[in-house]
Amino acid sequence: MASSRPRGGSFSRNISSAATTQIPGVKLGPNGTSFLSSGIPDLDQILGGGFTLGSLVMVMEDPEAPHHMLLLRNFMSQGLIHKQTLLYASPERDPRGFLGTLPSPMASKEEKSHERPAEQDANLRIAWQYKKYFGEQNSEGQRGGKAEYCNDFDLRKPLERHFYSGQRVDCISLRDSPNLAPLLERCSTFSAQIAKSDDNITCASRIAIQSLCSPQCDFSDKDWEMLSFIRSLKGMVRSSGAVAVISFPPSLVSPAFLKRWQHLADTLISVKAIPDEDKELAKLLTGYQDMLGLLSVHKVARINTQVPAILEATTFSMKLRKRRALVLECLNQAPVDGSSGSSYGTSGSCSGSSKTGNLDF
Amino acid sequence: MAETICRALRDGAFEGEHAPALTIKDTIDTPLGSFVFNHILTQLTANILAGKSQARGVVLVALSRPPSFYAELLKDKGFDVSSSSKWLRVLDCYSDPLGWKNKLMERGTVRNPYEETLLKTSLCKNLKELDKVLSSIIELGKEIVEEGKGRFAVAIDSVSEVLRHSSLPSVARILSHLRSHDQVSCIFCLLHVDLHEAKVAATLEYLSTMHADVEPIVQRTNGQRNTSEDLPMVEQSFKIGKFHVRFKRRNGRVRVMREELYVEGSGIKITEVSSEDGFTAQSLVPKVQFNLDLSEKERLDRAKVVLPFEHQGTGKPIQIYDGRKSLNESENEEKQASVEKLQTTEDSGRGEIIYFRDSDDEMPDSDEDPDDDLDI
Amino acid sequence: MDNSRANLLEEAVGISKGGRVVVVEDCVETSGAFVLHHFLKRSLYPDTSDVVIFIAFAHPFSHYERILRKMGCNLTVHRKTHRFVFLDMLTLECPDRNGKETRQDGLLALYGEIEKAVEIYSSLEGSRTITIMIDDISLIEVAANGLSNHVLDFLHYCYTLKAKYGCSFVTLNHEDIYSSANTLPLILQPEYLADVIIKAEPLATGLASDVHGQLTVLNKGSVCDLGDSSSKVRNFHFRVKENIVDYFYPGTQT
Repeated sequence: MASSRPRGGSFSRNISSAATTQIPGVKLGPNGTSFLSSGIPDLDQILGGGFTLGSLVMVMEDPEAPHHMLLLRNFMSQGLIHKQTLLYASPERDPRGFLGTLPSPMASKEEKSHERPAEQDANLRIAWQYKKYFGEQNSEGQRGGKAEYCNDFDLRKPLERHFYSGQRVDCISLRDSPNLAPLLERCSTFSAQIAKSDDNITCASRIAIQSLCSPQCDFSDKDWEMLSFIRSLKGMVRSSGAVAVISFPPSLVSPAFLKRWQHLADTLISVKAIPDEDKELAKLLTGYQDMLGLLSVHKVARINTQVPAILEATTFSMKLRKRRALVLECLNQAPVDGSSGSSYGTSGSCSGSSKTGNLDF
Repeated sequence: MAETICRALRDGAFEGEHAPALTIKDTIDTPLGSFVFNHILTQLTANILAGKSQARGVVLVALSRPPSFYAELLKDKGFDVSSSSKWLRVLDCYSDPLGWKNKLMERGTVRNPYEETLLKTSLCKNLKELDKVLSSIIELGKEIVEEGKGRFAVAIDSVSEVLRHSSLPSVARILSHLRSHDQVSCIFCLLHVDLHEAKVAATLEYLSTMHADVEPIVQRTNGQRNTSEDLPMVEQSFKIGKFHVRFKRRNGRVRVMREELYVEGSGIKITEVSSEDGFTAQSLVPKVQFNLDLSEKERLDRAKVVLPFEHQGTGKPIQIYDGRKSLNESENEEKQASVEKLQTTEDSGRGEIIYFRDSDDEMPDSDEDPDDDLDI
Repeated sequence: MDNSRANLLEEAVGISKGGRVVVVEDCVETSGAFVLHHFLKRSLYPDTSDVVIFIAFAHPFSHYERILRKMGCNLTVHRKTHRFVFLDMLTLECPDRNGKETRQDGLLALYGEIEKAVEIYSSLEGSRTITIMIDDISLIEVAANGLSNHVLDFLHYCYTLKAKYGCSFVTLNHEDIYSSANTLPLILQPEYLADVIIKAEPLATGLASDVHGQLTVLNKGSVCDLGDSSSKVRNFHFRVKENIVDYFYPGTQT
């Protein structure tokens, strides 16, 4: 199975220290943590290396745009390429159908490797304490065989079927059950499989739950049950080698509970649509034409450390490079109005208020 | 005049009437209610020991603070705690309100979870059964006073705790039962208002003859619990508060007292404030004594009034004054002139000159030359 | 320099003595967990024999172990020498399928464990303060399926240990959760009982890499220890590092 990996990963693995890639797709981070790739190289860098293994990532959806699906797709595809087990839950009747929409990794490596480093330096900076890791990864990439840790995905090309046809993918629909117990059970058996395999984690796995509190689920009005589920899931994920990504529409969660959800998240990300053909915005933001939407990072997982991650910028624009690969860029504002976008003023109010729209000028 | 409260509690219930009840209320902005409670408890105790009060003893229902705290408090105030069994009983609802410790002891998890104090206490292991709590309060009270005669005071150190376990009506029932009990001299209790809905405070106010609010000196304008903005004010609120007492008097009047409360050392000092803000007057008496409202008829009449600019186009030809008399006008003029004539003819017989003074500061006519100070 | 700055928090909190209740409140933007770590380390100083009973709802032992190790405090060793008791409640589920009784039993059992530990350690020789720490009260509420009164009952029972054994308490809760009136008691009730309230908030100007937020310390002066009621309120900024936290007044940072 390992031979079906699309690129010669073993080559670069030898270059980087042996410990970093003992488990495919897992990179060592600071404080004894490990990272999984989010499937979006830029997001990995913003977060200081990727999603921390054992963390709960929550994505606040924009009810008007499907940007969270992009994040989920890349997250899931990346896992499948790394041969990691995957559990996918969705409010759709047939969640397995979603696997057909997963993107395939970009074929032409050359293009990527010569374009990327420049862009990273120019647009993305990460928390100071991660610079060393950042540098390391960069050099790794420049050494030609950019490790398989993180792929660029071609959103227009579907993932080859053999990646998800195997045993490693588990799908469950949120719609069938009146409560969250079946999902919790699936999650616990799923994470037990990983934990069982060995004492020290030998393989990472991913859990993706789409639109947890979407109204078509029967349990969507049971606030405490959902909270309890998230808490249990967080506990499970923490003790096993997994990353769980939950996306949810924040407008459907009552405000007091929304705060609880946010507190439960290790990493908190929100995506936002941008208004179409808004002349004001077009004037204000350079590159407005290419933007799909905005992505904000509100919280970065702090496992095994007490130092908060302070990002230089918290809001990024989501763009498609060559109409294929998802990239994130720091917002470049035309120097008209300093009170918006990635300024610290809005990043301070990263919850609540900014959700309702940090673009309502 | 916090003494007024203490005096009322000291004097106790009049024959055939319900016992006076005091509710002390505070909020998290000025959490000084417990100080007031302690103050009143010690004052009452002093009165009891001096034999001045109607009550012969106190039944203290300890809910938010342990009996040992009260032992400390009384010792600190110079009371003889060892002989306190003559005038004090503590119903300990603090240590084990749900019987957990008891259960754990039975299971063998813990050995001796209960605390010993110098005070004579009685343990309540199920706060949810309020009727039992009530009967044990009365039982304890009867222990202090001899059977049949004498009264005792009841102090409840936080009704908020009771309300967590029981519903408001049942708590209200207990309180009114205590008030009407013929051996209860007075009741006072503490309530943290913001832990409950507004109805709770209103209910307790209704049930009590006095209620004392501890309020911040400066009311926070925004309802937010943001402390970092106003540090001095927050610091102050732990030491100083407004002490606002409403006292339902027997003659049907309400005496309102506004005082200031300082935390000093272990106790509090209450001083009178001179500034009367006329709050009561404002809320009772209508603010404006003019009748600004219109009755329906008046409103209709007002609607009928044709304002000058509305004359135009009401069916009549529009008349614009052009400086000349038009034919129609001259007819009217003549009518008016005849009226004037009538008036003038009446007065024509006399030849008086009527002089009106322009203003009062002009002196009445005098012979003095108005220009005599003129210096040419 | 660092030492004098670390004292700003301790100065505001006052000299540690038994039977003190410290409430830490934070929000999504600014985590107050580091204050908890501070008290944890403080209680485990080698020159005392104080004991910490840590009830973890938010993070597993490995998380705290690693953080405290960087601060120069080895929890594994303390655990072995019976100075540190770690109760992992991450997966505590006060089950909701069998009705209310069991839910309360979950918290009752937890309380039993705490009291048992307290009883054992207080019976040992030597004067020691037992500090009980809870790292996330809002998660107890989740475990109790939203019945905040059960949580308050549980906390009440914990506080009763103060009277008999002179235990100290340090608890963390998230202030921003409790915005609506009917959820307020869970944040207000502990505040009424607290001797020290510490609030971690972001700066009004947002986050920066050199100032991570501000702390407001409301020291009521111990209401329960009569005698002294020197309440004071302090506000200062902080910057969290791996091994130490810098505290400084606004603008005095070098």
